[in-house]
Amino acid sequence: MNKAKFMAFLGRLRHNKQMMIGCILLGFLILIAIFGPSFAPYNPKLLQDDTLASPNATYLLGTDNLGRDVFSMILYGVRTSLQIGFIAAMISAAIGIIVGGIAGFFGGIIDKILNEIMNIFMMLPTFFLILLVVALFGSNMTNVMIVIGVTSWVSNARLMRAQAISLKERTFVKSAITMGESKWSILIHHIIPNGIFPIIAQTTMNISGAILTEAGLSFLGLGDPNVFSLGQIINNGKMYMPRCWWISTFSGVVVVLIVLTFFLIGDGLNRVLSPKMDANK
Amino acid sequence: MKKFLAKRLGSGSLAVLFSIIFNFVIIRLAPGDPATLLVGKDNPNPEMIAMIREQYGLDKSMFEQLGAYFNQLFHLDLGYSYANSRDVWDMIVERLGPTLMIALTGTLIAVLIGTFIGVYAARKKGTFIDQAICSISYLFDSTPSFWLGLMLILLFSSILGLFPTSGMYNLRGNYTGFAHIMDVIQHMFLPVLTLVLLNIPYYFRIARSSVLQVMSEDFIMTLRATGMSEKKIFNKYVLRNAIIPTITVFGINLAYMVTGVSMIEITFAWPGMGRLMLDSITKRDYPVISGIYLVLSISVAIGMIIVDIVYATIDPRIRIEE
Repeated sequence: MNKAKFMAFLGRLRHNKQMMIGCILLGFLILIAIFGPSFAPYNPKLLQDDTLASPNATYLLGTDNLGRDVFSMILYGVRTSLQIGFIAAMISAAIGIIVGGIAGFFGGIIDKILNEIMNIFMMLPTFFLILLVVALFGSNMTNVMIVIGVTSWVSNARLMRAQAISLKERTFVKSAITMGESKWSILIHHIIPNGIFPIIAQTTMNISGAILTEAGLSFLGLGDPNVFSLGQIINNGKMYMPRCWWISTFSGVVVVLIVLTFFLIGDGLNRVLSPKMDANK
Repeated sequence: MKKFLAKRLGSGSLAVLFSIIFNFVIIRLAPGDPATLLVGKDNPNPEMIAMIREQYGLDKSMFEQLGAYFNQLFHLDLGYSYANSRDVWDMIVERLGPTLMIALTGTLIAVLIGTFIGVYAARKKGTFIDQAICSISYLFDSTPSFWLGLMLILLFSSILGLFPTSGMYNLRGNYTGFAHIMDVIQHMFLPVLTLVLLNIPYYFRIARSSVLQVMSEDFIMTLRATGMSEKKIFNKYVLRNAIIPTITVFGINLAYMVTGVSMIEITFAWPGMGRLMLDSITKRDYPVISGIYLVLSISVAIGMIIVDIVYATIDPRIRIEE
């Protein structure tokens, strides 16, 4: 990408309203994730005497059944959600890029086999599988991240495969082949770097998906019990609904905001990538 | 077309076969043992554990167990639940009805409303209404189903007192006939509403973008040049072409329907597959887990094949590319 093209790209980015809102929200989230614990008015593990206190000046968003400050718990929960979302989406992107790149670039029988594997993964009942693995193998954060990543790579692989197939026909790749560069080297140095952009957009969307899945698991009581997670707070608050509505309501609003952030950015990136889609807007 | 069909069927059966083996292996690799769970923690009697292991064939090698399982499936037998001593097939059928009831109703309503709003927004493209609808759809896309369910309970049951919070019918009501149907509909309302609200954005976006896509194509310009009225162009040419993607997504959604509603079912304590899944997993009830898994993967595979066939029938380009 040369400089003029890059500037045009930045220009499109700036005119994209969703993208702007998404980036501002993301900035806030990152600040919360880094500095959140130092903003927290209380230690979220601290059990206070005021149990189930409604939101007031002392406890901004009220307290839960054990007297823990909901606001502080949420600040810690944001960190967990972002961490799980990022790492799970990265795992899924890495598998997708490798599998899709190999399938598309090498072609032939390798492509056929890998494509069949992708079809099989597409047909697996993903949520049930995640539930099963987490319930059987223990619900710690590592398991949750890995299983979400391993079950969500197919969309990335499909995108990368299509990219590799089209890039393979381009002159610069053909000249690299003629010059005797090895296939792996072409894949790593030319195909993947040039075809990665749609995967970045998809990965941003996948972060949303992973955060929703994690929240769902925690809501079912299958989250990591050693960390604060937004789904867990909702699940815990459910038992005290409707009288103590604040526990579940506020933590849920935060989940919606986090997911919305990545959704807006991912969708914005897609629009910037394909101006035709943007024109249709 | 025959070749295409054969290929799809082959790929589908492969997926189901892979699912069965994968699922079988993963359950048995997990730490924890159903025999010890069945005997109970308080009084672990080694003889009893051994007896249960033998009775359920848990003492054999994994390979032999897999063989026995395939043999059993071949005779259309899903086995007996460890925890409930009931036929797995009966348990699943019993739960499948209520699940389909919510899932089908919700998905159908969502398709109709979502497509309608999408077409409307596409015609009003760029106006305030269009932008407002788009923003709302983003919001619902980001909402976890279980939380939306809780919020609807808070609003409609606790504050307004209009609908029951959970279950499928009033246990103390003993209603019969029409009163029973009304009772079930009343219980269905909130779970279905949750599903509808969450699914509308999908259909909305697809309808909107495909209408816009078709409107920008050359043949529409040609039709305009012939002097045909906008209304006729829209109803006769745009809508017909724009509806194809909606049909595809609807089909894919139907295929994933059973898993799609499980969180909502759990939130509303609806007696469907969702609860059965969760219970069987926490109780390590292997036959039930395998049975559910089998039913789910077969239904997804069949659904996907049907979608492919419908799509290939509507759009011949797909067949030729294959």
